[in-house]
Amino acid sequence: MPKDYEHPDIKVIKEQLLDGKVDRREFLWTATMLGLSATAAYALAGKIDGGPAVAEANAAIPKGGKLRIGMRVFPIDSPHTYSFPAQSNIVRQVCEFLSVTGQDNLTRPHLLESWEPSADIKTWTLNVRKGIKWHNGREFTADDVIWNINRVLTPETGSSVLGLMKGYMLDEYDTGEKDENGKAIMSTRLWDSNAIERVDSHTVRLNCKAPQLAVPEHLFHYPFAMLDPEDNGVFGVGSNGTGPFELVDLKVADKAVLKARDDYWGDGPYLDELTFVNLGDDPATALAAVASKQVDGLMNAEPSLVEAFRTIPHVDIHNVSTATAPTVRFKIDRPPFDDVRVRQALRRAVDPQEVLQVAYRGLGVKGEHHGVAPIHPEYAKLPEQPQDIEEAKRLLAEAGLADGIDLKLDVRSEPRWIVDMVQNLAEQWAKANIRVELNVMPVPAYLKVWLSSPFGVTNWRHRPLGFMVLSLAYRSGVPWNETNFSNSEFDAVLSEVEKTVDIEKRRSLMARLEQIMQEEGGIVQPFFLGEYTVFDKKVKGFKLHPTLYIFGNEIGTDA
Amino acid sequence: MIRFVLKHLTFLVITLFAVSFIIFMLTQLTPVDAARVKLGAYATEEQVALMTKQLGLDRPALERYGAYVLSVLQGDLGHSLHFGVPVSDIIFDRLGNTLVLGAIAFSFIVPLSIFLGVVAGINETSIIDRCILVVSTFFTSLPEFATGVVLLSIFVVSLGVLPGLSSLDAGGDWSVAQQFVLPVATIVIFDTGYVANMVRASMIEVMRQPFVRTAVLKGMSFRKVVLVHALRNGMLNPVTVIFLQINYLISGVVVVETIFGYPGFGRMMLEAAMNKDIALLEAGALVAVFVAVSTQILGDLAIMVLDPRIRT
Repeated sequence: MPKDYEHPDIKVIKEQLLDGKVDRREFLWTATMLGLSATAAYALAGKIDGGPAVAEANAAIPKGGKLRIGMRVFPIDSPHTYSFPAQSNIVRQVCEFLSVTGQDNLTRPHLLESWEPSADIKTWTLNVRKGIKWHNGREFTADDVIWNINRVLTPETGSSVLGLMKGYMLDEYDTGEKDENGKAIMSTRLWDSNAIERVDSHTVRLNCKAPQLAVPEHLFHYPFAMLDPEDNGVFGVGSNGTGPFELVDLKVADKAVLKARDDYWGDGPYLDELTFVNLGDDPATALAAVASKQVDGLMNAEPSLVEAFRTIPHVDIHNVSTATAPTVRFKIDRPPFDDVRVRQALRRAVDPQEVLQVAYRGLGVKGEHHGVAPIHPEYAKLPEQPQDIEEAKRLLAEAGLADGIDLKLDVRSEPRWIVDMVQNLAEQWAKANIRVELNVMPVPAYLKVWLSSPFGVTNWRHRPLGFMVLSLAYRSGVPWNETNFSNSEFDAVLSEVEKTVDIEKRRSLMARLEQIMQEEGGIVQPFFLGEYTVFDKKVKGFKLHPTLYIFGNEIGTDA
Repeated sequence: MIRFVLKHLTFLVITLFAVSFIIFMLTQLTPVDAARVKLGAYATEEQVALMTKQLGLDRPALERYGAYVLSVLQGDLGHSLHFGVPVSDIIFDRLGNTLVLGAIAFSFIVPLSIFLGVVAGINETSIIDRCILVVSTFFTSLPEFATGVVLLSIFVVSLGVLPGLSSLDAGGDWSVAQQFVLPVATIVIFDTGYVANMVRASMIEVMRQPFVRTAVLKGMSFRKVVLVHALRNGMLNPVTVIFLQINYLISGVVVVETIFGYPGFGRMMLEAAMNKDIALLEAGALVAVFVAVSTQILGDLAIMVLDPRIRT
């Protein structure tokens, strides 16, 4: 591809922005996705609509100083298999990612200089940024990228990136072995020997078996940090990286201390030292530690404490909208959920705004039971479906359940607001004769049954694009299809969405998906939560990320 | 005396074995999958199956228990899955922290509760006795988490005179000594009342004995009667209770450790149990049983010293 290559759709969306068909955010997202740098996209948008030409003016950030942030400190020795964003917040300061999805929900190249999708978005050319050095002085190259991609896609590694990329990078095959039940043991391998192609020392090409729009977002999935092949997948004190800090001390469940490096290739770091302090499970400890200035901020704060934090004079409250969705979901092939009217009744009996208020102090936006959040670029607004207890009762009666139903809902004991949420839902359902008994389980016990439970609660984490969760959870037969939802029209439209660059077109397709979910889906989704946290007023440059990622190089502190 | 100690030590070893076996088997019953915990909710079933194999968890439970006992006998306590370090690295560290917290609390609880109990006991039904009784019963009935949170909101959030986090790390401008104030206060407030009530009851009983009346009647000063005659007899029952507090201070202060973020033994055990960290849970349980049984032995020995009648 020539260097001045511009994806044909960039012209189309420029016109759409001009016509007012897409808003500024949608334009920026599509243009950066198609390979335009964020700076160029912001500049282009500015030329067209006259808005600001940079993402946000960087206020002068003071240099020097130490910062302490309250956060769980889990074992972090295996970055590619992380299962908590908190783990990645430590490694992120040392080892970086190929792309970065910013606080504005836009994904930009990071260790990559740029990417170029083919017109059919099946081939992605990744241009590695030149001149980046590992801490030990070796240059960061395409070979490092290939080693990391190969490692996360190897089943033995156990990385959740595998599930994300399986659809377009891997084939499933029968290993020939059988488990104790005589079922064939399946595994995965690259779909083609040339799937990850080394073009030259600074260019990697992904030859995918299916079109995929969200490759840049997947490259920023939190277990996908670029590790030095020499470290063989293990991370710890003194590990090599390309990032702004190095890990100098680590005590799991206690603290992680990072020291700034003066040879970082990007912006910052401004701090001399960044420490993550483990505050444990009790939200009161976090409040007390902030009040007594033992930490300067928190990764995130418990919603029930927002009023208490407001009384502490030396902190600012930061908040951000997300697409994280606590979702009550039911297996639609099991009675009584196999009757579509029962599923609709469960939705119609609910007032989402009340649940949001009771469970999450109103910190968020109400949901519409279809998995797509208003902050997603391709969100389509559907007609409101207000709570209607009589309609819910009528639907149940029609399904032959005039006396109502008795159900048992599996729910994890933490975070606490999830339990508050289902308690409120149960109260609302009871008005429509849907009697729900709560089965509150410890988190690890719940994780064991989250996929198999007939009636449970999953907290679907924020993803930057609206179709990403739909692809993961509601396409027929996918591994995380917790509702056993299977609808051929839904699958077909979803596949169409996944390769549609034009946002107008994509949004009209999304409207259909949202409708199908509302009519037939196996979920009750009362709200999308807003995240909030607190930081000392002396802290500068901190912006709360929708997935709570912390970028230590952007933060500074007044003495 | 030697026979007594030997008998109890044998009992201790048998208990340790039984407890380790029971805990190991109980963890097999809980629906928690260590490989799933390690890989998180979003790993595929195939990946979890592979990890189960890598961790050796697909072998029969008895075989794994046998291997575990063998390695413990060789001094290897295993690897903590949750903390990602060898069990011996974390367990003695945490136990040490808890012992420090317990010792400080203990050094307040014992003199304070004996003083209050004796004062109340020798002045039975007086105003001062009533006051001690009411106050100590009140504070003992308050759960530790309530006391802890009330102390936090007064001294940390409202007044700002004490730190709320007791991570033993000199973070902010607070010394480690200042970090001990609130956890120790919470434990002392909770526990002193209970022990004081036991001492009081025992003292009342002793003060009604004929030998105390005789001592008073033969002209001994009341002060001397209490200190020489009554106290030694009055301490027999409370000594057992006091030694049992050691047990509570080591494995029972999990609530206090959690509220104040104190890196102690109880909190470690809670996290191990929640995350099916079997190696750590086993080692922790063995330590807890060891402490429980040996404090009982110590308590019995102390009673022997106080009471010559059973010194046989």
